[in-house]
Order: sequence, then C-alpha cells, then structure tokens
Amino acid sequence: MRFLLINHVQNAKQSLKCSRVRSTLTMLGITIGVASITTILSLSGGASRVISSQIDALGGNIAVIKPGVASSTVNNVAQTQSTRDYATSTLTEKDITYIENTPQVQSAAPLMVLSGTIKADSVASSSSVIVATTPKLQNIANLKLRDGQFLDNQLDKNTVVVGLQLSIDTFGTESSIGKILTIRGQNFTVVGVLKRINEPVNYNSVDFDNAAIINFEVGKSLNQNVAQIQQIDVKADSVSNLNKVVASINKTIKNSHKGENDFSVLIGDKISQPTSQLFFMIAKVTTAIAAISLIVGGIGIMNIMLVTVAERSREIGIRKALGASNADISWQFLIESLAISLGGCVSGYILGYIIAIAISKFLIFTPVFTWQIAITALIVSLITGTLFGLYPALRAAHKDPIESLHRYE
Amino acid sequence: MADTTSTPVIKLHGLQKRFGIGDAETFALNGVNLTINKGEFVAIMGPSGCGKTTLLNILGLLDRTYDGEYELNGTSVATISKRKRAKIRSQQIGFVFQSFNLINRLSVIENVALPLIYKGATRTKRLIIASDILRNFHLNEREYYMPYQLSGGQTQRVAIARALVNDPSIILADEPTGNLDSRSSHIIMEELSDLHKRGNTIIMVTHNPRLTTYASRVITMLDGQINTDTKEDASSIANRYEIHKPLRPVKQKNRFLNRIKRRKK
Repeated sequence: MRFLLINHVQNAKQSLKCSRVRSTLTMLGITIGVASITTILSLSGGASRVISSQIDALGGNIAVIKPGVASSTVNNVAQTQSTRDYATSTLTEKDITYIENTPQVQSAAPLMVLSGTIKADSVASSSSVIVATTPKLQNIANLKLRDGQFLDNQLDKNTVVVGLQLSIDTFGTESSIGKILTIRGQNFTVVGVLKRINEPVNYNSVDFDNAAIINFEVGKSLNQNVAQIQQIDVKADSVSNLNKVVASINKTIKNSHKGENDFSVLIGDKISQPTSQLFFMIAKVTTAIAAISLIVGGIGIMNIMLVTVAERSREIGIRKALGASNADISWQFLIESLAISLGGCVSGYILGYIIAIAISKFLIFTPVFTWQIAITALIVSLITGTLFGLYPALRAAHKDPIESLHRYE
Repeated sequence: MADTTSTPVIKLHGLQKRFGIGDAETFALNGVNLTINKGEFVAIMGPSGCGKTTLLNILGLLDRTYDGEYELNGTSVATISKRKRAKIRSQQIGFVFQSFNLINRLSVIENVALPLIYKGATRTKRLIIASDILRNFHLNEREYYMPYQLSGGQTQRVAIARALVNDPSIILADEPTGNLDSRSSHIIMEELSDLHKRGNTIIMVTHNPRLTTYASRVITMLDGQINTDTKEDASSIANRYEIHKPLRPVKQKNRFLNRIKRRKK
C-alpha cells in the first residue's frame, strides 16, 4: 500500500504535467480562494494585534482598568463600545489612590475623555479630543514631547499639552508654545507639543496626535466636578509582577466598591478585546465570502477530474485488466485532485501574503504570520480537494473495464 | 506436450453471455462447456463475432455478467469478491489485447512495469524486471520511447512483454501476433511456447492457422458455441506439420483432425 501511494503521487505528478495548462487553470481557482482567505485572516490578525503590540512595545507591564465588566464575547456589533463611553463610570478618584498604593505599582494615571470644542485661530476638527489626566500619563504611555513640557502639578492649572496635528489645525503651526487655546470657552496656555505618534488605534482609545491634554482637576471642573474616569492606566514595576498587581488591584477595588464586580482589570490581548472582536466578526464574514470562491474552485476541480476520467476510461480499463482494484483506481484519481488542490494551497498561501503585505502598506498594521493561518489554508484546500475529487474518483472506479477498453477503438 | 497435468485450471459449464434485452437479445456465448487443464496451450479460432473475445473477457474475470458456471482453480468465480478478483488478475492472469492498449502518456518501460505496481513492487524493482523482459523482446533500446514512437509490431511486443511481466500462470492473448510481421510473430510465439514449457497455461485467440502449430489444443468456435476441439491429439497432430511449410486452411485441418479422432474411437 505504501508503494502504491508513492506510485499514485508519481502518477499524479506525471498526468498533471501532461495537461499543464488545464491543471494550472484548475489550480488557479483554488489559488484565488486560498489567497483571499489567507489575506483576510492575516490582515485581521494584524489588526487585532495592533494594540497588544503597542503594549509590548511599552514594555508589556501595562494593565488597564475599565469601568464595567468586559464581556468576553461581542453579542451585538453595534454595541461594542459606544454605550460605555456615555454611561457614568464606576471608577472613582479614590480608586486611583488605592491603585497607586498597591505594592509593585510604579504609577497609575486616570483618563477622562471630554467632549467639547477646541479652538484658537481656527476650530479644531471633530476628531480631536480633550483628555484630562495626571502628569504620570507621560511615563506610562511613553508620550514624547516635541517642544516644551508635559503637565506638571507645579504649573498653573490652566495649561494644556497639544498633539502635533491639533497644533497645526488650530494654530497653523507646529510651534505653539505659549499660545492660548480655548477649550469649552475656557482659556488654556499651551506648555508642550507632543511628537507625532501616528497611532490612531491604541489601548487608550485616544489619538494623541489630535488630543488636547489638560489637568485632571480642571477636567473635573469642566465636567460639573464629576470625575468621569474612562480608564485607569497602571504600570507595574516589572513584567513578572504584572499578574500579582492585577490580583491585588482586583482585591482592593472590589473592597472599596463594596464587593461589587463593576470594573475589569485587563492585561495583554484582553485590553484590545472589544476592538479585536469587532475585527474578528468582520473577518469571519469576509472569510465566509472568500470560502465561496473556494467552492467555485472546487467545482472547477470536479469538472476537470470528470473530464480526465472520461478521457482516460481506456487507461482505467487497462489498469483494471492488469490487476488494479476499484480502490486503486479511486485513489489514483483522488490523489490527482488532491495534488491540484495542494498546489493551489501553496501558491494561494504565497499569493495571499503578497496581497496582504501590499495592502498593509496603506494600513496602520502589518499582516501576521501564524501557523494557524497556514494550517487553515492547508485543511481548507485538502477538504476541497477531497470533497470535489471524491465523486470523479468513485465514478472512475466503477467503470466497467470491458466497456472502458472498447470505448475508443 | 501431452504431459499436461490433469488438474483443471478453468472449468466452464453451460456458459452463456447475453447482449441486449427482449427482441434484441442475442447470445454472444450460448452454452460453452470447456475444461482447460494446467499447462495447456489452447488456441481458439473462429470467424469474427463467434464470441472468442467475450469468452476471453469472462475467462480473465473482466466480465461478470454471464450465466452458467465458471470455476477457476476449483473455486466458483461468482463467489469471489471484487477485490479478490483484482488480485487474481494481478497475480495469475496476463492479458494481451486485440488492440495494443498501452497507456500513451507512459513510456515503454513504465507501461511494461504497470502490472507490477498492483503487485506492490518498488519502483526500482519494477524497472529492473521490466527492463529484463524487454530485453527478451529485443526492445531494450526502446525502453524510454513513448508508445506512439514505436511501429505497430514493436507496440504489440511491448503489450506482450507487459502481459508476461508478472509471470502469470494463465496468459490470455487476443490475437497477439495480429499486427506483426512473420519474424516478430516467430519471436513472440517462441516466447509463448517457452512459457508454456515452463508450465504456464496459455489461451490464445487467433485468426492465423499457422500459429495453431504452437498450441497443444485447438478449439474452433461458431455462433457462441464450441464447434471442434482437438483435446487429446492436438499437439501430436500439430507436431506432424512442419512449421515452415504453407499450411492448409483451417477448415481443412479441422476436418483432418476430426477424421483422426473418429478413427481413434
């Protein structure tokens, strides 16, 4: 049986070589299907990794505390984040103090995103945000300044640090130190301009290029003296202590919230879960659409295999007369269709990555290379090859040898 | 070669083969009773359409739709499973077809090695055996030619080489020399009779009465039935003919054989 298998493979190779154009075109169907699946999976994987890779770049010792319980699955695509932004936060100012006092926590900074107009010479675009936070954010989020300094408790309360794009939009210049920015009708002096970060998607859900960062206390006063904390960024003193930190924060905040589990401490991939799950859902749908093209490719295989079987009915007759059993014949043709689909799989996988890399030049993320994608491509194409090769193979096996022998005489 | 052992390899009883149904029903074989012993060289003759090829297909286990009894080596063929039948074809039966029936996209040597695949031989072993047998047929220089690059005679020799490669105990040949010149015919017939001497059973359909001289037994068929059979004396009679002499027509020969038979009785 082992020798037979090797022989079938040799035979398939040879017969595919004999009708090269036909095999290549059939393979192309599978190639396109596998390529689209590979592209979608690698890009969606890349998209969901954007945030966690940022955290890794920051040292991997970041935890994020968010109000409410993070659901592990997205039930409703339309409801992933928007509701949480407008609901009253369960996190309080006291929690920040508790967290800062937790052992092994290096620093913690609350994030409070406010809405409102920002203007100076001209009004900033609607995509710009007002972020109220403490000076510690600079260290945690690794914000680098182009000019001036970050927020400081020693300074006047009404100071602001602006993102580079915001500075250009409102003042028309990159160097806006000392100029006056009006936020919600209140005047702020620009003390610093951030370097361009170019990470519109990140774990803070804030595009710092377009942000006006103000003092937490001032932010509170703009918000009727209520601290609406969207999230608290926590930095542990080392990566190895992160899990310990998460556990103790969980404990302390739970105590201060009277035992209610109305918050979540997230690390690693979990931070980006709402975003990445949205990506995953989109990816699932698009993969399903890509699978249709694979089915079309499969039908192509079946079609060509049926033609091959008809063409070779004499060969089938000869082989049977020379001692081939029905199983031998069906294996021969099944392996041939598997060879087509495997060829399509390999070329599709390569083509898929070429397309993904080309597309990622226009996106903020790069495609991921994981063994899961390779295995998916392999399994999917093997299933296609088997499924659509089975009927022609069985048909070949059940041909009457005498009829087959006399077919073309 | 009358020293044939008396074990019957093939035993047919009331064998019938029908084509068509109802009014269109015709019998290709209509009650064939035949026993072929181990080591016999049987030549089957008869006009076109008398059922020779059909008989050969049934004997070769290719055709299963017949009525009557067929015992191969003592077992009724009707009880043998499909898979087992393929195995018997692979190990015991060698086919030489009326048309050459080589696979066109395979080279000569690969065509010859084909039956060995289903016997489970490795590729190297297959090629060695195939090469050996091709040398016997003076085709060793054509090993890597494609079938369409050969002359008709060479093609048939390849086909015969293929039938012999498995060293089958029964060889079924449908006009093996039909497309060959006399020199090639001679080589092939010598090869067949050599196999016969080694104890193989050979059943050959032929139109050429000259070839019956190699046979130990000549059967003529007519309208799906066995017309004449030279069971006992075929070989001894045949030996009286000199091969190089022009032979008498078949009918004449059969008449002659029958006369002898009758006299014996």
